[in-house]
Amino acid sequence: MTGPVFNGHLNQRRNVRTLAALSLVVALSASAAFPAAAQEDYDPDATVRIGSLYEPQNLDNTAGAGQGVSEVFNSNVYEPLFRLTDDGNVEPVLASDYSISEDGLTYTIKLHPNVTFHSGDPLTAQDVKFSIERVVAPESKSSRKNSLATISAIETPDDQTVVIKLSQRSISLPYNLSYVWIVNDAATSFTTSADGTGPYRLDGRRRGSGISLSRFDDYWGDAPTNKEVVFSYFTDATALNNALLTNAVDIITSVQSPDSLALFKDNPDFTVTEGQSTTKEVLAFNDRVEPFSDPRVRKAISRAIDKSKLLNSIWGEYGTLIGSFVPPTDPWYVDLTGVDPYDPETAKALLAEAGHPNGFSFNLDTPNYDPHPIVAQFVKSELAKVGITVNINIITANEWYTKIYQAHDFQATLQEHVNHRDIVFYGNPDFYWGYNNPEVIELIKSAEASATTEEQVEKLTTANRLIAEDAASVWLYLYPQIVVSANNVTGYPVNGLNSQFFVYDIRKN
Amino acid sequence: MTLPEQAIPARRGLRFSPTLTAGLILVGLHIAIALLTLFWTPYDPASTAGGRLEPPSWSHWAGTDRLGRDFFTQIMIGSRIALVVGAGAVAIGAAIGVTIGLLAAFATRFLDDALAATLDILIAFPTLLLAMLVVAASDSASLWTAILALGIAMSAIVARLTRILAKRVLRNDYIAASRTAGTSWPGVVAMHVLPNIWPTLAVSFALQFGLAIIAEASLSYLGLGTPPPNASWGRLLQEAQGTVYTAPIGAIAPGIALVTLVIGINLIADGLRDVADPV
Repeated sequence: MTGPVFNGHLNQRRNVRTLAALSLVVALSASAAFPAAAQEDYDPDATVRIGSLYEPQNLDNTAGAGQGVSEVFNSNVYEPLFRLTDDGNVEPVLASDYSISEDGLTYTIKLHPNVTFHSGDPLTAQDVKFSIERVVAPESKSSRKNSLATISAIETPDDQTVVIKLSQRSISLPYNLSYVWIVNDAATSFTTSADGTGPYRLDGRRRGSGISLSRFDDYWGDAPTNKEVVFSYFTDATALNNALLTNAVDIITSVQSPDSLALFKDNPDFTVTEGQSTTKEVLAFNDRVEPFSDPRVRKAISRAIDKSKLLNSIWGEYGTLIGSFVPPTDPWYVDLTGVDPYDPETAKALLAEAGHPNGFSFNLDTPNYDPHPIVAQFVKSELAKVGITVNINIITANEWYTKIYQAHDFQATLQEHVNHRDIVFYGNPDFYWGYNNPEVIELIKSAEASATTEEQVEKLTTANRLIAEDAASVWLYLYPQIVVSANNVTGYPVNGLNSQFFVYDIRKN
Repeated sequence: MTLPEQAIPARRGLRFSPTLTAGLILVGLHIAIALLTLFWTPYDPASTAGGRLEPPSWSHWAGTDRLGRDFFTQIMIGSRIALVVGAGAVAIGAAIGVTIGLLAAFATRFLDDALAATLDILIAFPTLLLAMLVVAASDSASLWTAILALGIAMSAIVARLTRILAKRVLRNDYIAASRTAGTSWPGVVAMHVLPNIWPTLAVSFALQFGLAIIAEASLSYLGLGTPPPNASWGRLLQEAQGTVYTAPIGAIAPGIALVTLVIGINLIADGLRDVADPV
């Protein structure tokens, strides 16, 4: 995992304003050398203004509000029992202590004492039970609903103790509980108001414009390093960039194109940090159909594509190459980029071995939004060199959902997969790509039933290797997570896993 | 009143006004480039050998795109696509539009009213919206669906114009005379109607040609036109959108190509109108 990267070096392509850029190098190396000095000197009552492209549709993470709802609320307003930290670990938050029974089917969780909701109600075990049941309820649209389906009962022997019973072992339970906001069971509406236990209370919301949070003075944990946080929403990336340039916001949570960064990289007033997202650009085959049912064909295609050139085309100097579906922030990551390296010669040999010495042609269903069309053109041009003809078929996001995700009516497609810890998709033969390797299915299933985390990591690492060796799909690259801020702001998360954006450590001077 | 003397020669043939000449030069240039791309382009359009977003240089006149493809090559091929789309859409629009327009002109009062009302409704839809509907109804976007969509969308305008022009001609006494002399209706169309209405129709076709090119660029910009890697100017503009600050040439070059071709066509339309209607 890389830490913050200060992009202070000269950009070879644009040698304008060399003098300004040179002084920038000096300025940034100074700030990189003494980061602590900058952090101590901050205003504890500052207002931090955050610019984002992801306005939540409502304020409830079980009501299809979109990724923006996690950005604002996770750990800021609502807290979970356990949280996924910015570097991909799971740590207890509202759970002060927990124990697991011998058979792994009973989790006894002790709650932190003296925790109150913003409304003043104390946190009790009943609130926790209510919160979990809310997520697994039939009307819930939570993406982790199925992962929590192993919960068979929730008991509350006293106000500070929650006992969760499982129908089968689930080593990921603490992780899966990181998706569950602990809400007040007396709350009446979740879509328009919020009553959490987090360091901030919801101050106000203006639809189409923004959400403001203010420090909750009775917070049970460490007080935030700022007083107020305002999320402003933009629909246009250029407008958002301009807002930062004109000091209307302090931070952009996620920059989606490397080219706008030129505005900030050559400017000493701004800091560009690169973290690792969990968003993977995937060339997914329908592994059920000829010729993609043959792993040799899939490997040949993977080897025929110069992924580092592609990554450079899309993201310039940013982003990471991955040799499988697992990003470095997942515990079962291993570097598998060497399994099918760029090598058109062995690609041709593999194609010949698989019975396609003269190549073949296939349809590549390509979603009509960036970066897929340009990625498709690159894939077409690379595969032409080994004799494979690609017909690019542009489709809408809706068509993708019905034709590919639901009907499995496709040969190959491009898609970005955003989730953290989503290797489990390869353990489901009914998933849209139809990868069906009994060994992988068994490993993924038994990993969940592991007694220890070590055992789970070992099994999933093996599964990870197997899918890479089978070239179940072609994993083209991992998106970078780029945050740009004014240089008087520090302490924000760099990876933004699962679209979270913890604001309580942000310091502004 | 007698017509001024100098207006009369114009009726005898094409008078190459400066407008028409300028238009013909611009469009001729695009046609020449389009024909050239059939045999030769500076680079293989699919070759990704260049660097990412290189600025214009002697080796890459308009720089390179994100994938390292030569941008000038793509713009040259864009000329071909623009002209094919424009010509194809006008041909389809003319075939459908003139036929319906003539039918309406000859039809009974009731049918004529019905057709006229239908055409008015169709014209009320913006061309682009209508074209998007046609593309959406087809299985997948392609060059041909784009042409067909624009042709269909355009046909309503052509049909209405044809109907009005034809009705005006049909009111003349010599039509009745011609009929009395035994000329069939198709004969009347061929001998009297079409020769009288074509100059105005030609101007309209030229204007529609330009509009079709812009409409195709818009469709491609929205991802509904010619699918990649065909180098439609609209798609080039769309791809350049994210890099407009760092590599403005990507937006400027297809923009210039589009503007020169459409202005050229409009100048031709203007010049043709002067020829058709010299007063």
